[in-house]
Amino acid sequence: MSEPLDLPLREQAVAIAAGEVNPAELLEAALARIESRNQAINAIVETFPERSREMLAAAPHGPLHGVPVVIKDEWPLPWRAQRFGAADMLAPAAPGESGPYRALRDAGAVVVGVGNMHELGSGSTGNVSVYGPAGNPWDPARCPGGSSSGPAAAVAARLVGGAVGADGVGSIRYPAAYCGLTGLKPTFGRAAMEGHHMAGVSTTIVSGPLCADAADCRLFASALFEAELQARQARGLRIGIVRDEVSEDVAPAVAEACEAAIEDLRRETGSEVRVVELPGLPAATLATVLIANSESLGGVTPERLNHLDPELSPLGRGLLKYRLMLPAAATVKSHQVRRMARQTLASVFDEVDLIAWPTVPAVAPPLEAPLVELPSGTITADAANVRGGALANLTGIPAISVPIGTSEGLPIALQLQAAWGRDELLLDAAEALEQANGRRWVEAVPPLAQGEPSGA
Amino acid sequence: MEAANPADDFIPAALAAFGVEADEIELAVMGAAHEMFWPPILELLELDTSAVASQSDPDLSQAPPSR
Repeated sequence: MSEPLDLPLREQAVAIAAGEVNPAELLEAALARIESRNQAINAIVETFPERSREMLAAAPHGPLHGVPVVIKDEWPLPWRAQRFGAADMLAPAAPGESGPYRALRDAGAVVVGVGNMHELGSGSTGNVSVYGPAGNPWDPARCPGGSSSGPAAAVAARLVGGAVGADGVGSIRYPAAYCGLTGLKPTFGRAAMEGHHMAGVSTTIVSGPLCADAADCRLFASALFEAELQARQARGLRIGIVRDEVSEDVAPAVAEACEAAIEDLRRETGSEVRVVELPGLPAATLATVLIANSESLGGVTPERLNHLDPELSPLGRGLLKYRLMLPAAATVKSHQVRRMARQTLASVFDEVDLIAWPTVPAVAPPLEAPLVELPSGTITADAANVRGGALANLTGIPAISVPIGTSEGLPIALQLQAAWGRDELLLDAAEALEQANGRRWVEAVPPLAQGEPSGA
Repeated sequence: MEAANPADDFIPAALAAFGVEADEIELAVMGAAHEMFWPPILELLELDTSAVASQSDPDLSQAPPSR
């Protein structure tokens, strides 16, 4: 057997249940590995060994009994308030039992650390945070993706087998893509959200798992959904593709890998590929951004904006102030666009089971300058990534990012989207894709996680 | 005569109207955001949505009811 921490999440759980792995030793190994590897990637911003040991001592014999996990700095823990990656999150925060914490605790998991995140959840790169930027285990000088930067980097570096992220505008799927993981953005409202400072206000944010592969995501999501997600063999699917900016204005290596992966999936599942129309996708993308930004304005006053914590990044301060100027008419229009997009998608999902396109149009950019080169020119990674990530948040549908290749030694990912409530189908399809490529990409290990002599 | 950048007027005027202060870096960030967002916002406002059925508080966990 390899080191227990290198096992997939589900195999860690099975090994503990079978008495083959001592969960106390596994917890100490996770803490030791964080100690040895985290400095290079700044994925974990806080550990609390005594709290983790207490959690293990009280852990029920659930499906994740004794398995170490990480939670994003977006939810409170009973002993720690979330900081939202920011010196000033413009909302009250206090320690407490958040929904994801409670769901994982009740499944027997042990929270071993808090994951870094992009400041205020407002970026797809992870290079801005009150804790400093997180790095990508495939190349620490590259962006790990955001806003769930730390959870993704932690799983990719094999610090833990699974982590909770949050996805308001792609924030689970972008870091999953950059770090070579599988990341599930559940159907809106399906996963535990209680305790999030935007719960009840946000109509885009969900919690969801970041794991090495789809089977681990299924187990982790079953905890977050508090319902077992059944596996079925994906067969005879109708796979929709879109001939649009989102699939065509992408780096050549990404386009090639995604086309090959869609063909692999088609062949593996005896499926067919159909071209579908999604008119108004750019408007839907803008609408998502405007809705997400306006929903965060509830507690913001001009007076409050004049007293922002000076440690908040200049980028964060400027964007917060700009949000105040967004016209209300544009937000109203955005909700109309949302209704149009939902109607369109409902019709499209009568014709196809899945919509497939690249999760992000280029591999992880440098932390120092998060720009990507596309056929249309060089643009910011944020502006590029949102094209493929926003639709699922706007409409509420589930989406999953699956690793399907590498370029320049960095992961490439395909996104699959399905109709409302068909999260299980996405996991089934992701597993079929893994089988089609011999699990080559879900088992790929980044350099940071290779050949460590510590034995942790 | 060269047209002025709309952000040159809009952002200082909006900040003044709200009574919000901003330093030079924040102004630069706002200017860049305005340059990126404002043209598509204007396009969005022109979008014909007259055929969109009114539906308050949609249930985003499910497909829309009227199909």
